[in-house]
Amino acid sequence: MLQIKNLKASINKKNILKGLDISINPGELHAIMGPNGSGKSTLANVLSGKSGYEISGEIKYKGKDLSELKVDERAQNGIFLAFQYPTEIPGVNTNNFLRTSLNKVRKARGEKALDALSFLKLMKEKASELGIEEKMLSRQLNVGFSGGEKKKNEILQMKILNPNLVVLDETDSGLDIDALKIIADGVNSFRDKANSFLVITHYQRLLDYIKPDFVHVLSDGKIIKSGSIELAKELEKTGYKNII
Amino acid sequence: MIQNFQIKNSVIDQIKEISLEEKKFRLKNLDVFNNEGFPNNKNEEWKFTNIDKIIKTNFKKLILKKDINELKKFDLITNFEHNYIILVNGRLKSFNLDFEEKNEVNISTFKNNNFDFKKNNTLINLNNALYNEGFSIKVNDNYKMKKSIIIYNFFTKELKENMINIKNKVILGKNSELHLIEYNINNSKEKFFNNTYESVFLDKHAVYKTISINENRSEGFFHKFSSNTLLSNTNYTAYIFPAGLKFNKVDLEFNLEGENIDCSLQSASFLKKDEHQEIRTKINHLFPNCKSYQKVKNVLSLNSKGVFQGKIFVKDKAQKTNAYQLGKAMLLNDESEFNSKPELEIYADDVKCTHGSTSGSLDENAIYYLMTRGLNRKESTSLLIDAFLNEIISTIKSKSIKEFIKLKFEKQIYGH
Repeated sequence: MLQIKNLKASINKKNILKGLDISINPGELHAIMGPNGSGKSTLANVLSGKSGYEISGEIKYKGKDLSELKVDERAQNGIFLAFQYPTEIPGVNTNNFLRTSLNKVRKARGEKALDALSFLKLMKEKASELGIEEKMLSRQLNVGFSGGEKKKNEILQMKILNPNLVVLDETDSGLDIDALKIIADGVNSFRDKANSFLVITHYQRLLDYIKPDFVHVLSDGKIIKSGSIELAKELEKTGYKNII
Repeated sequence: MIQNFQIKNSVIDQIKEISLEEKKFRLKNLDVFNNEGFPNNKNEEWKFTNIDKIIKTNFKKLILKKDINELKKFDLITNFEHNYIILVNGRLKSFNLDFEEKNEVNISTFKNNNFDFKKNNTLINLNNALYNEGFSIKVNDNYKMKKSIIIYNFFTKELKENMINIKNKVILGKNSELHLIEYNINNSKEKFFNNTYESVFLDKHAVYKTISINENRSEGFFHKFSSNTLLSNTNYTAYIFPAGLKFNKVDLEFNLEGENIDCSLQSASFLKKDEHQEIRTKINHLFPNCKSYQKVKNVLSLNSKGVFQGKIFVKDKAQKTNAYQLGKAMLLNDESEFNSKPELEIYADDVKCTHGSTSGSLDENAIYYLMTRGLNRKESTSLLIDAFLNEIISTIKSKSIKEFIKLKFEKQIYGH
């Protein structure tokens, strides 16, 4: 699904990723853990195609060079980034936006656009799975949403857009335990043989609910250790200091 | 023709069937214009708009032709039922009041009966000298109109390099109600100058709602001065959607001459390449317990210029005034310009006056977020422009009219 080789990324001449390698097969869930400033969010941004980075190395997605695709083309090709801080967009109705977004992605997949009624049905079904009130969906996109609502909205978008590669950037930050469980259930219900996940997190807590197949430790722009869930548990006990 | 932008007195001699008083009035006003010319930016009210330069750059001459009334077939708006007035190049051609009771609403060609001479913004003096027809609407006391009136304001290709001077008048009787939509349809690809003077009078407890919008983009140069007198307990709501003209200045003055008046003015525009758009307001709070509200939002693309100059005057006895004013701009690139100059002049001590102005560029984080959801850059930008302007449009109360205006904006923003 995703092969990254010797990925380097810098912004404003500051090197952040310094030769990162990772390979994710269909159906796998990889967790990347690392201290603040290790390059976790940069990795998420680079995968989504955010501008402003100088990049070298290789990123292959479904066998193709990802660097040729723009942000929206990556989304249309099945890459989904759940933001650490979802952007508030005043004046844009959440419902309408989601329908526009879904129909863009469907079009790219060669599927017919969903009419308002079919969309509403889909939306209601997915929203109720996440305990999202319909009222929230008629509000302006992320405006005045609580931290939990914002993150739930990200997971709702994931479920509606039905991507192949999901990048979760610190999705657990700012969540209480109840919201965390709902989010984790949302992610777990979306796991199957075809979908891959890259879960970026600072704390092991999230991984109690979303069980990774592999855990990697990112430090100073490189993966310095990889292992199973046991590695995350070890980190929780000893902290990053003893590994880095 | 205006030779070197000087107009001969003989132009006024040629106007038929006017009284001596009117002739004198016109000549005096003409003198002012001939002596002082078009306003320039030394005048505080024209600080950001050198109309003198703009006219002289865009026109070699201005023709004062009289009979240009041709109009081919046209389509009425079918989105909602309405009464209508048809104007061609400012001249009243016909009207239809089928939805209303007989004799409650009177529409006629404008006749001036106010010959008080005042030195003014010289474009008003010019209008006073040369005005030619226009319309007047009068709604009787206690009559609330059942449907809106749409003014189909056609401008034809014969207007090439012409200047037209029009006077319009709206009078609402006590406790009456009128909703008026001014719909400018410009079939001319040519440059012309439209100089309009409008007076609006709201008697006690009257309700007036007005919307103005352009059907299409054109090369028109428009200046409109609107003088509004509101008596006690009246309600005035205006929406100005002025984009589409090469040059447009809407200059509005309000005299709130009574208590408990509610006066609201909102504007939204998406200015395209090289458009110049200005709104200047002066709201005179002369009595206690009145409310005024102004919000102007502009999105500016390449080399366009937007101006909002708003003044709130509060007289010493106008206690408990509540005045609000906000100008907001979204600049799509470095070559666009937004000028905002809020002014407050307050002589009462128990008032609430708020004013503010912000301008910024597109929110790149928002664009990025939308793009990660599959929208391309253009679509994301359009969505943000739509959202920015829709804040104004969404406050229109009538659902069918709101939908109509939304469609017009979507056409401008998304190009379909």
